[in-house]
Amino acid sequence: MALPLKKKSDAAAVMVPPWHPNLRIVETLPDTKVVRTAFFVNGAAMLLAFVLLLLLGVQEWKLHEVNKQIGDWQKQIDRDTKQSDEAKALYADFQSEEAKTTEVADFVASKPKLSSIVLRLGLITPKKIAFDNLDFRENGFNIRATIKGAPDPATTDASNYLKQLRTDKVLGPMFHEVDLLTLVKNQSSGRMVMEIFCMYKKGAKK
Amino acid sequence: MTNEELMLFLKKNVISVSCVIASILIGVALYARSDQLPDAEKILADKAQQGELLAANIEDSAQLKEQHAALVSANSVIADRMIRVGQLAENLQYFYRLESETGTKLTDPRQNAWVPPAKNAAKTNFTLVNFNLGAQGDYTQVLDLLRKLEDGEHFCRVNTLTMKPVSVIRGGPVTISVTFDLLALE
Repeated sequence: MALPLKKKSDAAAVMVPPWHPNLRIVETLPDTKVVRTAFFVNGAAMLLAFVLLLLLGVQEWKLHEVNKQIGDWQKQIDRDTKQSDEAKALYADFQSEEAKTTEVADFVASKPKLSSIVLRLGLITPKKIAFDNLDFRENGFNIRATIKGAPDPATTDASNYLKQLRTDKVLGPMFHEVDLLTLVKNQSSGRMVMEIFCMYKKGAKK
Repeated sequence: MTNEELMLFLKKNVISVSCVIASILIGVALYARSDQLPDAEKILADKAQQGELLAANIEDSAQLKEQHAALVSANSVIADRMIRVGQLAENLQYFYRLESETGTKLTDPRQNAWVPPAKNAAKTNFTLVNFNLGAQGDYTQVLDLLRKLEDGEHFCRVNTLTMKPVSVIRGGPVTISVTFDLLALE
């Protein structure tokens, strides 16, 4: 192997790491940290304590506020209880009194005023129809009547009277059905006699 | 670690150790009192509901005294219009008074036997007394009697009614046969 002809440069000589014996006694060396670890540890511990203290404070403040509100409500309750109890007792008495009037009103409304129906029948019935019998029952009423005149037009009169009863503005709404039960000739008088049953609506005021 | 080392450590880290001990104590206090707030809020909700209910009762009863007095007064009038079950003579006297007022002729006005309500029946304030009545008169008189019965002094409910002319001659007298209930006090 041939030797290099050129002389080694000074830069190559600088590349060699310097060395010296480490004679430092570490324990005696001065601390060169700008911020000590204890500062961060203390800071973290204080922050934790502060946050927890804050949480406790908030919790206690909320508890205090709630207890204060409970106290306010309790004062109002203590103030209102007597008056409210009196009102409740009065209302209970009011209800029992109201039950009496309701009972009377229900009793009166439970059946139709038959005098009004008779009056209305008298008002709307044609003159050629004469009542022989009015029979009011629980579920309706029966009309037996004689139709004056010849038998032939009497059937039309009967039919028209049925329609009139069904469509009458006062009586009509009361009825569930209006039926012609019989239409026969009275042999002695020669006139037609009809029998009609008007059935009240169920559930409605009869 | 010896006691000396421990003491040295505590002296050296007095702030952090104090903060940790305080944090532990605060944490314990937080935990111990953490149930109190929900409990107090529940109590508050109950008290608020109770308080509002009482306030509403008072507010709603603003005119209750006047209404109650009016109702009591009305019921007093109603009670005066009731018949008494046992006062047979007075009850029949009412019909004869109607007879003289209307000009009809009564036939067989009768108070039917009163049956006390069954023990298991719904409690009511009043009871019903059933009557039968027959009457004769012209159409106007009979209708007047019927109207006075229905709208008269006592509370009446007509159950059945039969009305027919006495004779075949029209415009003559008519008869009625009525069954009805009057509201009564026992």
